[in-house]
Parts: sequence; structure tokens; C-alpha cells
Amino acid sequence: MTKNTRSRRIAGSALAAATVLAAVAGCSSSGSKDGASSGPTTISFMQIMINGSQKSTLVKLTNDFETANPNIKVNLEYQPDYGTLHAKETAAIAAHNAPTIGQVYESWAAQYANSQVILPVSQYAGSDKPDQYSSFYAGVQKDLALPDGKNWMWPFNKSVQVIYSNSDLLKSKGLAAPTTWDQFATDAKAVSGNGVTGIAIDPGTTASPASGTLMFQALAASNGTPDFAADGTPQLNSPAAVQALSYLVDLKKSGALQIGTNYPGEAALGAQKGLFDLSSAAGYYYENQAVGGKFALGTAVLPTGSTGQPTNVMSGTNLVEFTGASKAQQAAGWKYMQFLASASSQAEWAGQTGYLPVTAAALPLMSDFIAKNPYLPTAVGALAYAVAEPPYSWVAKAEGEEVVALQAALDKGTDPATALNTAQTNALADQKAGAAQ
Amino acid sequence: MGWLYTAPALLIFSVFIIGPTAYTLYVSLFHWNALNTAKSKYIGLANYRSLLGSTAPSFLSSAWHSLYFSGAMVIGGTALSLAFALLLQRGGRLLGAARVAVFAPHATPVVATSLAWVWIFNPQFGLADTLLKAVHLPQPGWLQSTTWAMPSVIAYSLWHEVGFTVVLFLGGLAVISPELSEAARVDGANAWQEFWHVTWPQLRPVTLFVVIITSISSLQAFTQFYEMSQGGPVYATTTLSFLLYQEAFVFFDTGYGAALAIVLFAVTAAFTLLQRRTGDRISRSS
Amino acid sequence: MLAGLLFLLPFYYVVVTSLNSASVSASVSDILLPHWQWANYSRAWAAAPWPRLFLNTLLIASATVLLALATSLLAGFAFGVMRFRGRGLLFGLVMSVLMIPGTVLIIPDYIIANDINWLDTYWIQIVPWGASVFGIFLVRQFFLGLPQEIFDAAELDGAGRLRMLWSIGIPLVRPAIVIISLNVFLASWNSFLWPFIMTSSPDVQPVEVGLAAFAGANGTDFPALSAAVVFTTAPVLLFFLVLQRHFITGAMSTAGGVRG
Repeated sequence: MTKNTRSRRIAGSALAAATVLAAVAGCSSSGSKDGASSGPTTISFMQIMINGSQKSTLVKLTNDFETANPNIKVNLEYQPDYGTLHAKETAAIAAHNAPTIGQVYESWAAQYANSQVILPVSQYAGSDKPDQYSSFYAGVQKDLALPDGKNWMWPFNKSVQVIYSNSDLLKSKGLAAPTTWDQFATDAKAVSGNGVTGIAIDPGTTASPASGTLMFQALAASNGTPDFAADGTPQLNSPAAVQALSYLVDLKKSGALQIGTNYPGEAALGAQKGLFDLSSAAGYYYENQAVGGKFALGTAVLPTGSTGQPTNVMSGTNLVEFTGASKAQQAAGWKYMQFLASASSQAEWAGQTGYLPVTAAALPLMSDFIAKNPYLPTAVGALAYAVAEPPYSWVAKAEGEEVVALQAALDKGTDPATALNTAQTNALADQKAGAAQ
Repeated sequence: MGWLYTAPALLIFSVFIIGPTAYTLYVSLFHWNALNTAKSKYIGLANYRSLLGSTAPSFLSSAWHSLYFSGAMVIGGTALSLAFALLLQRGGRLLGAARVAVFAPHATPVVATSLAWVWIFNPQFGLADTLLKAVHLPQPGWLQSTTWAMPSVIAYSLWHEVGFTVVLFLGGLAVISPELSEAARVDGANAWQEFWHVTWPQLRPVTLFVVIITSISSLQAFTQFYEMSQGGPVYATTTLSFLLYQEAFVFFDTGYGAALAIVLFAVTAAFTLLQRRTGDRISRSS
Repeated sequence: MLAGLLFLLPFYYVVVTSLNSASVSASVSDILLPHWQWANYSRAWAAAPWPRLFLNTLLIASATVLLALATSLLAGFAFGVMRFRGRGLLFGLVMSVLMIPGTVLIIPDYIIANDINWLDTYWIQIVPWGASVFGIFLVRQFFLGLPQEIFDAAELDGAGRLRMLWSIGIPLVRPAIVIISLNVFLASWNSFLWPFIMTSSPDVQPVEVGLAAFAGANGTDFPALSAAVVFTTAPVLLFFLVLQRHFITGAMSTAGGVRG
């Protein structure tokens, strides 16, 4: 106990030192950051659309918005990837310096809402289900709420997984594009050898999932049990999950699956060393770039598993408004969020980036894109049934346990059931620790 | 007067290092909510307890990985740089150029060159695997393999760090007394005996210095783990300092991360003191 | 010699990769011979405001070096030459700073930086690194190695302490100054996590953060990434090659000056 009071005092003096310094520096620096209430309202939007068509399209949309709303100025703050985005948002919130709007995954939103640092939709939109809500696909609507039942997010860049393939290679071997995972395995094994591997995946890291994690999740869902129940309870060692991991291990053993990092599937496909790649629909621009016209790039929705039902894994993020924004900023931010989710913006956004439009009203505006990419309507259909990450703060950490199980089975040769049992035990512990907060 | 001269340095240390460390100690006693500090809960030593009881990964395995990395860096790095220094100590243009070559990696930023090494170890297109494939040897998968990931990071780190310690040893060799070596040679000692009985004892102060700075820097090494392996696969490269980053900046369990930081500080301090103590004992006994 | 070549191989490899097309097939000759794809360089160069980032790095590193030299010389002089109460204790405190893991300081320092309005400025990248334990230690070692009589004599001449440090001390510890400058410069050039968290606009960010961001966003484009590695590393290497003699002799005399 004495130890405790002492450390408090030390911390107190450290804080005092910082405060003195703050006071000194405060004299020289002037004024607040946001300017006065009159004049144009400036809002900031922290996101990761840092390159390629994602950046150019967001910039164009934002310019359009500013032209239509001359009283609002939007500052785009770019981060290179989601890990950095999460760190930067958290640091900014901790320092009471949060942006007006930010991209979030469901589990981040849960964490933010628990800490009361984001606003519910009703606060700035006047209603929990404002007009635009009804225009979204059912799966997208469901993805906006947190466990308290209230809507806290607004959709922006949503996507599902698709299979990219080297159509020429498939054709030359007389193989059909796979509609079931069994057929997928057969095709993958048939082309493997002589430096070619059916598919290359990245199992991911404990910090962030990657294509391999998504493939496992898609397989588990296609076998009837997704990796997490809707209430966030991990079900990593379900028979469906064990079957999914065994499937991957079997592909690896027969030389039809390779492990790598940095989008290995895309690299292999581009180098004509791979047949398939599993990636987000939003990877379309990059896959095309990697292939560079060397062969016909096939695109298809995910095959079906033992249940025969179509399944998929939703990816991409939503938007939130952080507390700390002025009333004017909240209103301006809401206008901007509605603008980004509108049919015309979504049509433009999806047509340029490969993300899926969140509203069916965008499809008629995308006929050119659909003519070239007939997979789109089917992929959009997947937004209705795709499994989203359940909005609980522990899910990100529990996904890390999942990645470790994948690594253990695919690299160390650990038995899939054993690896998944361990992962389940650890994920349950994460859930317990998370729920206690 | 002395206080006044040390004041600028001490002010910087106090504000940006010592103060925040005390704050960290304080935070480590809480279930800390970095997003909203008002929601933090005092939990006493619970963070330390769950640290020792953690399973994924276990505290001991992370500590072991720190030790593995630091041990390899200290023992391998010291032996390697001493060997290089002995080879390169004679002057000459060619050896001068070799010195520069060995030193050059140390002058490169870790972010830049660890990225390059990630590509060297790339299992699909990398140099390491391509060379092995060309001579029909099995390819271990490097950073994707639980066995080889740590040696891969160590290989990069040695490449990056050894240059500096080589030069330190060269400095040590430059000031040792030539008469003693001469005398040894007159007495008929061979090269090994000369090194072992004459050169090596005189290098002890430099060696101790090298060992201490290498162990501190390798216990705290972070960037290469972040760029090359992200602590995986299956925690194979999760060291205490990577774990600290992960808990504090990926999962934002700030209180837990703080407890880890305090433990890492204690480990580093214990290591350093132990080495100084042993160093003193060795130099006193010789 | 062979070892020297082995150390250079990665450099060669990066340069070759930076000149190859994105999807070379993996054979030894493909990987080790350049294909002269200069477009990789223009692609990488266009991706970020590199000249600005370079300028920032240079400015930050130079300012940090100057500040660190000033604080190290003053403190090292005090610890090495002056006698005052609590000297040993204070020196122990300074040395213990070396053992504090830097990663953990980032959150509290971020909050402090925000309180003093230093986030996303040059200041937060310079001042916290403007005191170097290594520097203080080295300067002290050098002064300890000098005969105390020099300073006693100067004191009799009535020279002020500060003048004594300036006119007698500094010329005598020149090797230490060189090695501290280069070390602090490299450390500053090398720093990553700190500016990565503390800054967000390219106006003040250093080149390594730009590189990491480029890598995060373009992880798949390895030729362009290698090109970026080449042109962000080349200036430091050049700097080192020009000054290598000073650097190596400085480090050598440091080691010569180290006493148990």
C-alpha cells in the first residue's frame, strides 16, 4: 500500500512537470484549432485511401462535395494501413484531438462506444434510422449497429471476398471455374507443379488478419459454422472450423497451397505462378495491375461448402463521428457521410475501386462497369448473407488466436483440431477479459 | 555549479523519459482506458499477475525469445566482430575498403534495409530461396517458419550491427601494447596463444563495453521485428519489446503494456548490472 | 574480403530488384541481373513528396545533433571535471535512462506533446532526443582520461568554467564530438516509431516514416519499394562514405578511451 501512494506521488510530480511545461508553451502558442463558429466549417476525415484509384476517387468525391457545400471544408487525413489508422485514431482520442470522422471496423467501434468517444447516429442525424438507412442492403444495415441495438456507424467502403483466377490457365487444362470448394481443391491440385502453385495465402499476423485468415473464415462459414457467433462468442474449434483448417492443410501437403506475405496470391497470379487468389472485391484494381493484361483475369464469388449454401465474409469499414466535434462539425460531418453513402457517390466509388456499392440504387448507374465485370451483381448479392465481424471489442484479439492456429497447422504441422482447441481456449479468455471491461 | 551544467540534459530526461516512466509505473496499476481515462479502474498488481499467467503467448516464452535474440546478438555479434577486427586490423587499401563495406550496413536506416531483407527472405521470389533452389537444397521458408524466423531476424540484425562493434574492437586493438605481443612472439607463442594470453585480456574493457551496449540495444530492438515478422509465426519472434508494442498499440491494453514495460526495464537493468559485476570480477581476477 | 562482399550483397540485390519488373520469374539470373526498368523509380518518386521529407529529416537530424552536443558537453564536463554534491547519484540516474524501453514512453509523451501543442511539429522530433546518455557518458570518459591539472591550472588563471570548457575542453574531446554527432545523426535519421506516432503531415515528417507509409500502402510493389529504399538510403550512405574516415577513427578512439 505504501508503494502505491508513493508511485502516485511520483506520477503526480511528473504530471506537474508536464503541466508547467504546458503552461510555458501555452503562452507562445495561440488560439484554438477549429476556429470560430462563424465562417466555413472545417471537418477532418481520417482514412486509409492513400493510393491508386481509391485516393483519386475519394479526392474527386470530396471536391464535388465541397463545391456543392461551399461552407464546408473537408481535410482528408491519410494513413497507410488499418493498423496505423487504429493507432492514430486511438492516440488522437487519448489526446482529445480526434478527427471529426474516421473509418472503423466493427470491433473498434465497440471499443470506442464503450469508452464514450463516438456519437450514436441519432445524435447527429436526429433519428436512429434516418431516411437513407432504408436504401442500404440488409447485410449492410445490420452491420451499422452495436450490441446495444443502436446504430453507431454509417457505411462507406464495404466488400466481400471473391476468387480471382488465371482463366487462360484454367481453360488450357480443361478445368471449370470452381463453384464448390471441392472443385476448387481439385483445380488447384491439377495445376500445381513445375513452379506453379494453386493458391498462395498469407495466414496473417496476430495484429491483423490477411487472405489466409479470410479463406479459413469463409471455409468455416461454408461448412455451416462461422468463426464467431453473432454475439461474439468464438467457435473456433467447431467441426466446421476443423474441417476448414484440415482442408487448407491438405492443399498445402499436396503442394497446391503456398504460404507467403504481402499479398502472395496477387504476386503469384501476376507472375503466372498461381492459379487462384482469394481477395477482397476491392482488390480488383490491384489484381488487374499485377496481371497487366498478360492473361484473362477471372472473377467469381466464393464457392459453396458442405452446406451447399452461398456464404461469404464481409470486409471493409464504416464511418463514425467522434465526440469533441462542435455542433456545426457534427452536422457538416453527417452531410458528408450521407453524401459518400448516396447512390451516385457509391456508383462512382465502386466503379473506380472495386468496392461494392452499399445501395442497390447505385447499380443502374454502373452499367458500364457491370458490362465489363459481370461478377458484380452476384458479389453485391453476397452483401445480404456475408458474415461480418461481430461488433465486440475482443474480437480483434481473438482473431489473432485464429491466425496462430493457422500458422501452427500450416507451418509446424500441428494437428488442426489441437491447434484450434488451443485457439478456442485463448479466444474464450480474450472474450472473458474483454467482457469484464 | 555542476547542477547547472547538467540541468539542460536533466530537464529533457525528466520531462520526456523519467517523468513518463513514473507515469507508466502508475498506469501499470490500473485497468487503463487510454481512450477515456475517467473509465480507468485501479486493480493493484493484477496486470503483473496476468502478465505472469498469460498463455498466448506465455510470459516465459516471450522472455525466452528476448533472451534468444539478445544472446545471439551478444555472443554471435561479439565473436563475429572480434574476428573481423582481427582480420581487418592490418592497414592497406583492400582491407580499408573491406572495413568500409562491413561498416556500411550500420549507416543504413533499419526501416529501409529490413524491408529489403524481407524481400531476400521472400519464399516465392526471394534471393535466399532462389539460391537454395538453384543448388537443390531444401528451402526453409525463413520468416514463414517457426524455426527459422528468429534466425532470419538475427541474420539481418547482425548484418546491420556488426560494423559498429568491429570498429570498436579495431579501436581497442589499436591501443594495446605492441611490446607484450612482441615479447610473446619472442617466447615462441603461436598466433592463437598470443591472442588468448596477450591480446584478449587487454581487450576486456572494450569487450565489456560492446557486450553492454549490444545487450541493451538488442533487448529493446523493435523495428526489425515490426517490419520483418510481426512477432510470428506462432509467436516465434514475439520478444518482450515486441509484445509491449503489441499490447500497447495494437490491442490498446495500456495498463498491461505498462506493466510489461516495467518488467522489461527491470530485466534490462538486471542484465546490465550483472554484466558489469561479472566484468569487474574478471578484470579484478586477471 | 569475401566477408566484405557478403556484406555488400544485400545492397546489390536491392539495386537489382529496384530495376526489375514486378513479376520476374524466380531464376537466379533473373534475380541477380538488372532489367533496367527505370519506371520503378519514377513510380516510387511520384508516390510521396520525397524532397520535402528529406529536407525534414536533414533539418531534424542536424538540430538534434546540435542540441545533443550542447547538452552532452555541458553535462559530460560537469560529471568528468567538476566536483559537486550528488554527482554520483545524478550520473547513476542518467545511466539508468539508457535502460528504459523507448516504446513505452510513447503514450505518455504523446499526451505531453499534445498538452504543449507540439504534436505534428519539428519540436517533438528534436527536443526529446536532444540529450544523449551515450554522449554524456563519452564526454565524461574523455574528461576523466585527461589530467585534472590542466583544469586546475586554467582555474588559477581565472578562466571561467564555461570558457575553460570552450577553449580547452572541446579541442581535447574532438573525437568524442565526432562520434556523438554521427551517432545522434544516424539515430535521428533511423528513428521510426516516434515520428510515426507523433506526426501526421508530410510537412514535418521524416523520410523513414514516408518510406514505412509507402511500404504499408504498396506492400506488393516490391520493385518500386526497392527503388524507394535505394533513394532514401543512398544519401545516408553517401554521407557515411564521405565521412567514413572520421567516423571509423572516432569510433576507434572511443573504444581506446573506454576503461572498464
